[in-house]
Amino acid sequence: MQEAHPSLPEFDYIKPKTLAEASQFLADHAGKARPLLGGTDIFVRMRDGVWKDKYLVDVKGLNGTNEIAFDPTKGLTIGAAMTMNQVSAHPDVKEHYAVLADAVDKVASYQLRSRATTVGNICNASPAGDTIGACILLGGVLNVHGVDGVRQEPLSSFFKGPGSTALKPGDVVTSLELPLPPKGMLGKYLKLGRNKSSDLSIIGVTVVGFPDESAASGYRMKLVLASVAPVPLVVDKVEEILSTKPIAEESIAEAAQAAMDTCAPIDDVRASARYRKIMVRNLSQKALTEIWNELGR
Amino acid sequence: MTTTVINEKIPAPVGESKPRLENRKKATGAAIYADDIQFGNGLLHARILHSPHPHALIKSIDVSKAAALPGVKAVVTGDDFPGFIGLYLQDRHIFCRDRARYVGDPIAGVAATSEEIAVNALELIDVEYEVLEPVVNPEYGASPEAPLLHPDLSEYEVASFILPQAGTNISNLFKVRKGDVESAWEKCSAIVEHKYRIPHIQHVPIEPHIAIAQVDETGEITLWGSSQSPFAQRNLIAQALGISQSDMRVIAPYVGGGFGSKAGVSMEALAVAIATKVRGRPVKLLLTREEEFYTAFVRQELISYFKMGCDENGNILAMENTFYWGGGAYTEYGVNVTRAAGYSSTGPYEVPNVKTDSLCVYTNHPVGGPMRGFGMPEMHTGLEQCIDDLAHKAGIDPVEIRRLNCVKDGSILVTGSKMHPTGLPQCIEETSKAIQWGQKAPASAPNKRRGKGTAIMWKAPAMPPNAGSSAWVELAEDGTVNVGLGGQDLGQGTFTVCAQMAAAALGVPYESVRVATPVDTRYSPYEWQTVASRLTWSMGNAVVNAAKDARRQVLELVSEAWDEEPENLDIRNGVVVSYKSEQEQPLKDIVIYGLPKPDDQGWMGGPIIGRGKFMPTYVTGLDPETGQGERAVVHYTTGAQSVELEVDLDTGQVEVLRGVSAFDVGRAINPALVEAQMEGGFVQGLSSALFEEMKMVDGFMQNPSFVDYRIATTTDAPSEMESIIVEVPQDDGPWGARGIGEHSMVATAAAIANAIYDAVGVRMDGPPFSAEKIYLAMLDAGIVE
Repeated sequence: MQEAHPSLPEFDYIKPKTLAEASQFLADHAGKARPLLGGTDIFVRMRDGVWKDKYLVDVKGLNGTNEIAFDPTKGLTIGAAMTMNQVSAHPDVKEHYAVLADAVDKVASYQLRSRATTVGNICNASPAGDTIGACILLGGVLNVHGVDGVRQEPLSSFFKGPGSTALKPGDVVTSLELPLPPKGMLGKYLKLGRNKSSDLSIIGVTVVGFPDESAASGYRMKLVLASVAPVPLVVDKVEEILSTKPIAEESIAEAAQAAMDTCAPIDDVRASARYRKIMVRNLSQKALTEIWNELGR
Repeated sequence: MTTTVINEKIPAPVGESKPRLENRKKATGAAIYADDIQFGNGLLHARILHSPHPHALIKSIDVSKAAALPGVKAVVTGDDFPGFIGLYLQDRHIFCRDRARYVGDPIAGVAATSEEIAVNALELIDVEYEVLEPVVNPEYGASPEAPLLHPDLSEYEVASFILPQAGTNISNLFKVRKGDVESAWEKCSAIVEHKYRIPHIQHVPIEPHIAIAQVDETGEITLWGSSQSPFAQRNLIAQALGISQSDMRVIAPYVGGGFGSKAGVSMEALAVAIATKVRGRPVKLLLTREEEFYTAFVRQELISYFKMGCDENGNILAMENTFYWGGGAYTEYGVNVTRAAGYSSTGPYEVPNVKTDSLCVYTNHPVGGPMRGFGMPEMHTGLEQCIDDLAHKAGIDPVEIRRLNCVKDGSILVTGSKMHPTGLPQCIEETSKAIQWGQKAPASAPNKRRGKGTAIMWKAPAMPPNAGSSAWVELAEDGTVNVGLGGQDLGQGTFTVCAQMAAAALGVPYESVRVATPVDTRYSPYEWQTVASRLTWSMGNAVVNAAKDARRQVLELVSEAWDEEPENLDIRNGVVVSYKSEQEQPLKDIVIYGLPKPDDQGWMGGPIIGRGKFMPTYVTGLDPETGQGERAVVHYTTGAQSVELEVDLDTGQVEVLRGVSAFDVGRAINPALVEAQMEGGFVQGLSSALFEEMKMVDGFMQNPSFVDYRIATTTDAPSEMESIIVEVPQDDGPWGARGIGEHSMVATAAAIANAIYDAVGVRMDGPPFSAEKIYLAMLDAGIVE
């Protein structure tokens, strides 16, 4: 039986004063130290005995982690320490990045979102991460501070497997950058849970769409799936079908079928692979149809 | 909504919706729960080593390394505690002795100066097991091929009404043979047969189980715990340890949810056993949620077979029901669930020909025990779907077939007993009216289908025939009343209801009544257990009797002092009044110091303490071969529930839009609390219908946390819930009252299943009716592609 720790195992809490100090400590204690943001995943896993880190390095409060900034010419920067509720309530997020606000609001519960961070959700790299699809489709790039200085990690190549990313020991993600979205972009996140609130996703479908003159259909539609692969699954086929063929009930159905055919989910305690696959089709169709209806207006 | 029969003879505050006494304390955080009690630096922390195997022989246990760890004060194993423990069937040791029977079975216990040390000590205990084949299916477990889990079953001590089958895994067999089922089938114009499977679920109280035990230098034991059953714990733990009940004291502070899981004895005995080895020091054991799932009581699983038939007019002529209850590793408490299901096996219907076999079967699963409904939700979930199918097959409306066949005053019941006056027919009428039965509303969206379903239920308090209650009522210098009782408030409001009844019976304002809590077996009067929805009725009777006794003492004293007939005296609003002489005197001037005799010639009377008890004396035994007897139970609470819901054709998700409940509670002492029970039970029933399941694979639970054991939240509850109170008084209930706590979740899952069928035409073999299960059933039926 799963023998969870009755409370938390012992660990040292490290509060570095600078990013350099944080990166150095994390690099010096590789395998034993972990950057701490909201802690909503870390503490659960430590209690469950899955993670056995000796040090939690609190990177909240370091340079650049504590603000949300919108530049009308460049886009949005979300500091790593910003909580999900701060992100989804931000007026510029609501106005320009509504799909992210939609996804954030479907993570766990309101109470948890007062602690949890969007950057933490990304770095946790769960295949079920609700906000990851939106961040990928919005062209997200992470600003990373490592022992060798700062660099950028685009989300399109960031995820390597469940819980595994391009981050190395010593890396501290300071913020997430989202470029200005294409004009007229609409988006939606559909999450299927077992009950109405606070569940992990059985599957999740993130869709964005916007007018694009370079596409034969006049529109570009993109789709990412959660919980059906080891990493968030971008279904390129959807974009291909709906940019080359006139968008209509048939082409949307074909795109949804392509999404279903692309994914290879597993059976687990939350759902069977069979159900997941069909739900990918049904919810992809639903999300694409809803976005198309809104775009067409 | 309340439809209360106005009766002038009901004295206030009975029938008034008083707020619960402890509301403020609980809302402000001032209420003290067991884990809040401070024990200082001497406190030791206990942790338990659990069996990692569903079924294994224990070849050896080496605790020497653990015992040598600095900070460890005691390490105990089954060798230290040879006694048996159990409520109806003593089939359990405190710690395993020769055999482990489920994943989580306690192998050894450690007490240490810190939780961390205790956890580390567990890893130093070496246990050698011989792994055996587990039994994970009760139907297989009942077969001769299955390995025996309790080879000594026939030697266990057992209550007279429980019938273990020697040489099998069947720890109770309850049989009904009424009329002649075989010849009845040919008279039936419609017959249906179904098999259902109800999974294990759990109570999941917010507050996990906790026990703190301390043994003093003379061997006297004190146990503080989150408990529904302080007196049963006193009795059973004392028996297991071979000590006097008087040397075992149980103190029961506020409980953060019970639902049956904190009845009887479970982990409390572990804390006590460990504490006996470290005399003088308190030992605390607090379960993690994972341990709660694995090692606390679970609801038994059930594989049920129903066959039922009716004539062309819809009269049900026969039922043949077989229940294989998965009782888990120990069935000391669960055996009586299976008995209750046997003597209630027709559901609330009058059926002339009945054959029932209700089998309690050992499996290598967690320990099955009491849970809200005590077998009735599991049984009704299948039975009430079957009734719907029978109605459809016979071409009769599902409500009509229930109206026609439901038990009524004087009906001959499954055990041959006669039904007492019951409001079940009214409950059916009320729910049908409220849900607008027969009118189909359009679905809210093109991809949704709407349906309505109904189900009815009955349930008797399941307990020994002579489960007793007692109470005392004393008065203070200012005339306030202190009510001593031994039942526990689990949030159902029993303290409030008893205060209301004491006030009404004595004749004092409600505000003048206090309840002597926390319940403490050293000072509180005896109460069997807080289970079976029996407190309002049984403990209520004891409290009323105690209040009446105090009242009698006061009036006799005043009668003598005033030289008046007691019949002319009354206590109203805390004041003794004479209707003849119109004299009056407040209770406060009487109840402690008595009254002066005339002319300074001394005093009469003295402190007033009323005592009261209640114990049913009329429940008879039943024939072991036929299940027939004069009176099987004390009474049945009956009721009906209806729902309206929508099924999403894209996902299979169900949204319950409306829930209507109507129950005959005899008399609502506190209507708001009765309605709260109906709403709470509906939501718990909904949760069990749509979400809850302990997913067991080869004896291992796959979802032992709230991440994957989903329960309904407020967002899943219907936005419209209507609770209708029907009152057909019980002859021996206080002002006619009978229980409602458990009944409100009995019919819910079946009503939801019937509504799903009405909406999309699919039936599943059992709950939870998850979106996935519904969608795949629709897919297989060609309803969706």
